[in-house]
Amino acid sequence: MAPPAQRDFHWAFHRLAERVHRRHAGRLALTGASLGLSLGVLGALGLWAVRWGEWRPAAAGLGALGAVVGAVLANRRRWSESDVALYLDARLGSHETLTTALAAQGSQEPALTHVLERASSVLGSADPERVKPKLWSRWHALLPAAMSAIVAVSLLPLPPAPPPAPVAPGAERVQIENLKGLERIEALSHLPGQNPEQDERLRKLAEQAKKLREALAKGLEKREALSEIAKLRDGIAAERLKLGDRQNQPGLDAALRAFSNQPALRDAQKALGNGDLTAFDDEMQKLANRAESSDRKAAKDALEEAGKEARAKGAQGLADALDAQKRLFERRESRAEALRELAQGMKGKLSPEALEDLKEFGRSGSPEAEQRLADGLERALEGLTAEERKRLAERMQRQLEDAQGSASPMTKKQLEELAKQLSRPEGIEQLKKQLQELAKPESSPDARREQGLGDAERGGSAAQRGLGAVPIPMAGEDDATGPPGGNPRESGQAGPQGSGPGSKRDSGSGDHQGSTPEIASKELRSKADARLQAGAPMHGATLGRAPARAGETANQLGTGSLGEAQKTEVGAVDHADIPEEYREQVGRYFEP
Amino acid sequence: MTDLPAPSFESRLTQAREVSARLKRALAEVIVGQDAVVEQVLWGLIAGGHVLLEGNPGLGKTLLVRTLASCLDLRFSRIQFTPDLMPSDVTGTNILVMDGSGQGTRGRFELHRGPIFGQVVLADEINRATPKTQSALLEAMQEHAVTIAGTRHALDEPFFVLATENPIEMEGTYPLPEAQLDRFLLKISVPAPSEDELTEILSRTTGKPTSEPQRVLTRQDVRELQALCREVAVAEPVLRYAARLVNASAPDAADAPEVVRRAVRYGAGVRGAQSLVLAGKAVALLEGRAHVSFADLQRTAAPVLRHRILLSFEGEADGVSCDQIVRELVASVLTRPPAVERAVQGA
Repeated sequence: MAPPAQRDFHWAFHRLAERVHRRHAGRLALTGASLGLSLGVLGALGLWAVRWGEWRPAAAGLGALGAVVGAVLANRRRWSESDVALYLDARLGSHETLTTALAAQGSQEPALTHVLERASSVLGSADPERVKPKLWSRWHALLPAAMSAIVAVSLLPLPPAPPPAPVAPGAERVQIENLKGLERIEALSHLPGQNPEQDERLRKLAEQAKKLREALAKGLEKREALSEIAKLRDGIAAERLKLGDRQNQPGLDAALRAFSNQPALRDAQKALGNGDLTAFDDEMQKLANRAESSDRKAAKDALEEAGKEARAKGAQGLADALDAQKRLFERRESRAEALRELAQGMKGKLSPEALEDLKEFGRSGSPEAEQRLADGLERALEGLTAEERKRLAERMQRQLEDAQGSASPMTKKQLEELAKQLSRPEGIEQLKKQLQELAKPESSPDARREQGLGDAERGGSAAQRGLGAVPIPMAGEDDATGPPGGNPRESGQAGPQGSGPGSKRDSGSGDHQGSTPEIASKELRSKADARLQAGAPMHGATLGRAPARAGETANQLGTGSLGEAQKTEVGAVDHADIPEEYREQVGRYFEP
Repeated sequence: MTDLPAPSFESRLTQAREVSARLKRALAEVIVGQDAVVEQVLWGLIAGGHVLLEGNPGLGKTLLVRTLASCLDLRFSRIQFTPDLMPSDVTGTNILVMDGSGQGTRGRFELHRGPIFGQVVLADEINRATPKTQSALLEAMQEHAVTIAGTRHALDEPFFVLATENPIEMEGTYPLPEAQLDRFLLKISVPAPSEDELTEILSRTTGKPTSEPQRVLTRQDVRELQALCREVAVAEPVLRYAARLVNASAPDAADAPEVVRRAVRYGAGVRGAQSLVLAGKAVALLEGRAHVSFADLQRTAAPVLRHRILLSFEGEADGVSCDQIVRELVASVLTRPPAVERAVQGA
């Protein structure tokens, strides 16, 4: 059993030591809480800055965390008994009596026993309040300050929301239920192709347009939609006849030479030279409608010769188109003749306007005059009495007998039918219908296809406009507000669309005088004071053997004055190493 | 006859304090002032070590030693060190002694003991003798024994060497070798007296001769003091502090202060640490404590370490003193662990 001095010392020392340990741990916990709350202030400020307002009070939790960390740290760094003794000796000024006595426990040496007794005495007279370690430090002033700051930050109104990050150009999503223009591309599925392969390609283009429309209805990135439309336009352009390319150019040149001998065929030659089969078809329609047989014969001969020359030069596609045009020409010619015969038969009953239309029809062969003449004939038929109808039938019969084969077999048969019908009242209605059929213009398959493809291309352009892009302008392109369906002749509008002075659709009613404003300068520094007409082709670029369309660049497949764009040149901007967000601007820069 | 009960440690401690106080009073009757020097000489005496007194001539070094010897019931001897002093003059020698006369006379060698055989030996102006003669003290000081002509002679206990040296007269002196210096427990610097002290000295020494000091301590008292000193307890943290203090005096030590790295060539060694603790025990005993405190070590650091620190050329060139280095050591080496020290400072 330990001597009383040792027991007393042990008890008194451990009582004080526990107090020292507790105060030490408390001090570290308070320091941890102070630091934690200080960090909590920063956290609350951060949460305030990022507008996570509801989480700001939770920053005070860092204080509790800091206190726990401090307590854990105090436990891990708990002073040894020797350290406590050294601390108490220093506080009591006992000259390391306690430290020495601590080491003397269990020893029987007189000196150590004496030291133990002295240590017990020192501890017995020690004031516990005097020796307790300081609990608070100046750092602990952070505790209330940080707590107040957290409360203040928690009550602070949140800063205004930052403006949303700008979306990269074209990256915004668009959702359009039914984008105008795409239906014109979808209509390609009904367009007859040159061959089954082209039929399939046109059908695929229409299918892609349909898918794009559905995707747009669900929502799509604008740039992706524009890219799809551009691909569709490229596909459409690739399907159009390329009369001026390397393969067809010699044939086209030879065909044009066949048309060059006749002044009446100049417009047709020009249209063919432009590669505009629709315009060429229009001109041939006019020629077929003309009353002057020499013009018609010249046209047929030219078509035949041009077809032969083109075939001889290897332009098989052009030759086929010219042969088909020749066959169509003959049909048109016979129909125009039939109409004229009927008009001649009813000459006495026609109104002055109808008579004027008959003259105009024979002179210019314009489809408008043809339509007006058919209408006039229809009106005249309505006013015929039974007797007059009988006489008209007899007269037409006589004309048939007199003609003796001058008219085509079909015409003769038709006229026979007409004569029979005229004898019956119900035949008049039948005749009216046939008149309308005769007046209805018949286009060549190539022209119809070109027309359909052009309409689809314009539809693609309208779709691009609908998405806010500026499409590459095209010849005869109607504006976005115009009716869909492209063909101006079928739309019933008077006059061609977008026809300006000097354009291929210019009816020629102007004086072609023109004037260039005087330039106030001593010397000429600019080429011209050109003024572009919106939606109309650039007249200065449409002349020439291999016409270019305004805005036709390497961004789009097609032919032009520069020849055919190479595959690598198509969509160069899209394939170039240009950041996505700048691609649209760069594309616009290279647009004319 | 009944055995007397052994005195308690506390009574021994009390008696030691009384005895030492008596000695101090006796010394003070002769020595004016120089309390610190007297105190430190007592540390050496109680700790059983030797003391080197360094001071200018006329400061009472020799008088202090002579007075101390007079106060103690111990055999006193004095060696005046001169350049021609021989080792045998210190240790003694065997001389031929003739028995009888004429025919049949026989001679025998008889040991003639030198002054080293005293118990309180004053080695006056020790640095004036050659190193060879100085070395004659080595064995006596370390082992309390002398070997003469192959025969080892133990010296009587207590054996206490007090040497003096003059720091200003360098010509004709031989600085003590490090091994010799290390054997001194303390090197005490004797300062010049203050005006009051000098006045008192003049008053005492220029009148009638004063009476000789009385013997106040017996040999047994001295032995008891030295034995009691060895019994004084030292806690491990105090021992560690002594070790840290001594280790830090070496320039290549990790925790050596900057001045030590710069100005010290060699630091104190093991004997220095032992001396520090022994001197600390003496201090504790003189203060009536049975254990050593940090303060005891700090008080004894200067006289214990100053002659054990060898300055480098740079240190000497810069005029750095060993006392300055010791002060720096005491200031920089922590007594307690840093956390405890912070708590003590902050409390």
